[in-house]
Amino acid sequence: MVEEKGHPNGIDEQPATDAKPKAGEDLDHRVSRRKLLVTGVGVMSGAIAATVGVPAIFYVAGPAQEQGGEQDWIRLGTASSIETGTQTLMKATVERRAGYLTTTEELSVFVSTENGADFVALSNICTHLGCRVRWVDDQNAFFCPCHNAVFGPDGTVLEGPPPRPLDRFETKVEDGQIFIRRT
Amino acid sequence: MATRFGDWLNERSGWRAAYTMVFLRKIPKINWAYTLGSATLFAMIIQIVTGILLTLYYVPDPQLAYASVGYITNELPFGWLIRGLHHWGASAMVLLVVLHMVRVIIYGAYKYPREFTWITGVALLLLTFSFGFTGYLLPWDQRAYWATVVGTQIGEVTPVVGDTLRAVMLGGEEISGLTLSRFYGAHVWVLPSVLLLLVGIHIYLVIRNGITSVPKRGE
Repeated sequence: MVEEKGHPNGIDEQPATDAKPKAGEDLDHRVSRRKLLVTGVGVMSGAIAATVGVPAIFYVAGPAQEQGGEQDWIRLGTASSIETGTQTLMKATVERRAGYLTTTEELSVFVSTENGADFVALSNICTHLGCRVRWVDDQNAFFCPCHNAVFGPDGTVLEGPPPRPLDRFETKVEDGQIFIRRT
Repeated sequence: MATRFGDWLNERSGWRAAYTMVFLRKIPKINWAYTLGSATLFAMIIQIVTGILLTLYYVPDPQLAYASVGYITNELPFGWLIRGLHHWGASAMVLLVVLHMVRVIIYGAYKYPREFTWITGVALLLLTFSFGFTGYLLPWDQRAYWATVVGTQIGEVTPVVGDTLRAVMLGGEEISGLTLSRFYGAHVWVLPSVLLLLVGIHIYLVIRNGITSVPKRGE
């Protein structure tokens, strides 16, 4: 390629007629008309792009800021219905909101207590592959039908493939009602 | 640094020649009315950007469309801004494109050798209207619904093919989920594809043929 002479833009930076320096003018600090216009257009374009672009970042990231739309404390039922020394299966319907969609989910929880005041709430979903575990009173253990996993009354893995104990919920009692919350 | 990178890139792409040809081309002495084409192009870019952003949340489903629009407008941060820009930008597009055409008519800029530029421009005008018409249904509210009823009934009075035309537009005898999804598909895929192609040709022709000067008395 043949080297072009002059400005790398291939254009003459100095305007032809009105750019003749007048006597005493500061040549180094003169801004050509073209340069001013190009810069002006650039600044305006940048401002417009930012006006759309910056809100767009918040707009795109919006749903990530939401709290998952799930109720915080979920009411399970009356605390007095839970007997000591066994597991009581309690059910609750949880509403989950994602954007404009609200879905409901049935939640089943095993609740037990030793003294009638402190409650342990365990998810009935096996931590191995998500099957539902059931409580076998005779053996004092949870049993998962899918791969013969066995969990103790506190949720610890006694036998089988599950990688971790049954998930535990945080519990609280208010006005005789038992509430749980995901931890 | 920036200049050095520019040189490096220029040696491998020749972008400076293209830049000069597009932005530094010689033009006659003209007035502000000549900026209407660029203004339309600019509004189009805004429409494309905000339209793409809206598709991140909008769902063309009769059960969900209205709720998703409500979610965008009322709950998402700056959703009102993105949707507002798209909404008003649509009107701006129609306004600008019509003014642009009026300028071309008044200055006789459609004459030789720019007839083909004019033809692509007319196609772009009709495309702009089509964008407006298909986009109007998407919020799926009463106004959208009845505007589409009216709009397709206008299409129905076309001689001979009217009934078929309406049925094809609606995807059936009445407005349904099929209408919504086909209007959406037209609005975000079919029309933009044709639009970008035609805008490319239109701008190429404008640059290739140069622009007309303001006609003098007696011309």
